[in-house]
Amino acid sequence: MVFFNWKGENNMKQTKVFLNESEMPRQWYNIVADLPTPMSPPLHPGTGQPVGPDDLAPVFPMNLIEQEVSTERWIDIPEPVLDKLCLWRPSPLYRARNFEKLLDAPVKIYYKNEGVSPPGSHKPNTAVAQAYYNKVFGIKRLSTETGAGQWGSALSMACQMFGLECRVFMVKISYEQKPYRRLMMMTWGADCIPSPSNLTQAGRKILDEYPDSPGSLGMAISEAIEDAVGDKDARYSLGSVLNHVLLHQTIIGLEAQKQLEKIGDYPDIVMGCAGGGSNFAGLCLPFVRDKIHGKQISIVAVEPTSCPTMTRGPFAYDFGDTAMTTPLLPMHTLGHGFVPAPIHAGGLRYHGMAPILSHLLKEQIIEARALDQIETFTAGINWARTEGFIPAPETNHAIAAVVQEAQKAKEEGKEKTILFNWSGHGLVDLAAYDAFLSGKLKTYDLPEEELQKALKSIEGFPKP
Amino acid sequence: MEIRCPKLGGQVTFAYCLKEAGELPCSRIINCWQSYFPVEKYIRKRLTPAEWKRCFNQTPKEKILTLIELIEAAKNKPVK
Repeated sequence: MVFFNWKGENNMKQTKVFLNESEMPRQWYNIVADLPTPMSPPLHPGTGQPVGPDDLAPVFPMNLIEQEVSTERWIDIPEPVLDKLCLWRPSPLYRARNFEKLLDAPVKIYYKNEGVSPPGSHKPNTAVAQAYYNKVFGIKRLSTETGAGQWGSALSMACQMFGLECRVFMVKISYEQKPYRRLMMMTWGADCIPSPSNLTQAGRKILDEYPDSPGSLGMAISEAIEDAVGDKDARYSLGSVLNHVLLHQTIIGLEAQKQLEKIGDYPDIVMGCAGGGSNFAGLCLPFVRDKIHGKQISIVAVEPTSCPTMTRGPFAYDFGDTAMTTPLLPMHTLGHGFVPAPIHAGGLRYHGMAPILSHLLKEQIIEARALDQIETFTAGINWARTEGFIPAPETNHAIAAVVQEAQKAKEEGKEKTILFNWSGHGLVDLAAYDAFLSGKLKTYDLPEEELQKALKSIEGFPKP
Repeated sequence: MEIRCPKLGGQVTFAYCLKEAGELPCSRIINCWQSYFPVEKYIRKRLTPAEWKRCFNQTPKEKILTLIELIEAAKNKPVK
């Protein structure tokens, strides 16, 4: 084994743990097989019956639908997928020694560096798999939506690898503000369309009403679905939330387990940032399996306070669990008066969050934490100044949570080993760093003058 | 002034959030902007009670159900 440290000197302080390509996991791990309680299937809004394969067939190939509903514990990774993943996988496991030094706490911090992929994030782990399965199913083109372009760029690259056409509906405001990810998509051969567009009825309807619409993610999804359903040779692809997406991401955690085993270590805490949940799930699900089988381990999903799907679950309630066997919980409120008081915990769904993670949260196997952007960017800057790599703004949430855990360990005088997913680099998100460094992200009460200025800027927009 | 939109992963203005859902604001607008100014008060003035309910008190759907609804809607459109 080769030892490196920050200065590149050969000494005894190991900073990276590698796996050979031959050691890369050959199977994905499916948590559904090990859940202590089964998940309720989603019900079709039209029929009231559980959603079945035929319902999803217009947008997904049957081989992926089979994965979506599979209860098999291990699913083989096809060789052609492994061949492509090998371009950047196995990703290195790092020990963040410089950050540890800064924190001066009794913690060992390990992180999986998923920023080493060509698009710079964990997203291609599933993009490559999805492109492959669509290809073998006979599909010729994939359609998807993207916000700032992280998913769109990953799928563009994956489609290029398997000879598929790729059409990405990119929210117009991001299309105009984020030229680099748009150009990445185009470089990988994708057709990147600002949404709303004239290509779909959904887009045309919006443009008729609001010609200057800057678009939204919901609108872009509508366009991508319509585009896929309307072309028998096309299918839709989603980069998060769904079971098969999380399945493909488990290669992260499976590699991490092998890497930690190599150095004889194991985490007390596993953390990751969670938007839709795929990067968090990718690292944590193999460790959730360990926890279910008796390991003492904390598994923490970290999300932004501005989008707290798990820690607050605002407006996120339904009554899918008709048995209603669990107690009512008080709903956290975002502001007085606009949230119904009780929700039924058994049926709680976290809008935008992967159902598997919602289920694990409900079962108290994982926990969730929300952090504000000032805290997360502060952590990200400190990370960049010690470890060198500039994290994606989303990744900063995980780093900030690591800082909290380190402080807690220091206060309690306990040694802890922390593992987290460094889900991507922030080199295409430097505008966000600019906003932070120039003080624009500072949390403060907006002065009346600036408030009036902000409100004035929206005069003329159509009033609902 | 711009803040980072957790849905898009990019910087957005208040004006964008105000019309993110077409005729209605983004359902996250209060959460995202409450640190900066009394956004709830402003939105309450701007929306009727019915619009407020549509925007903020709607039961959200799971992703898979959203996809199913979009598929059903798209099926009625002409195939290439």
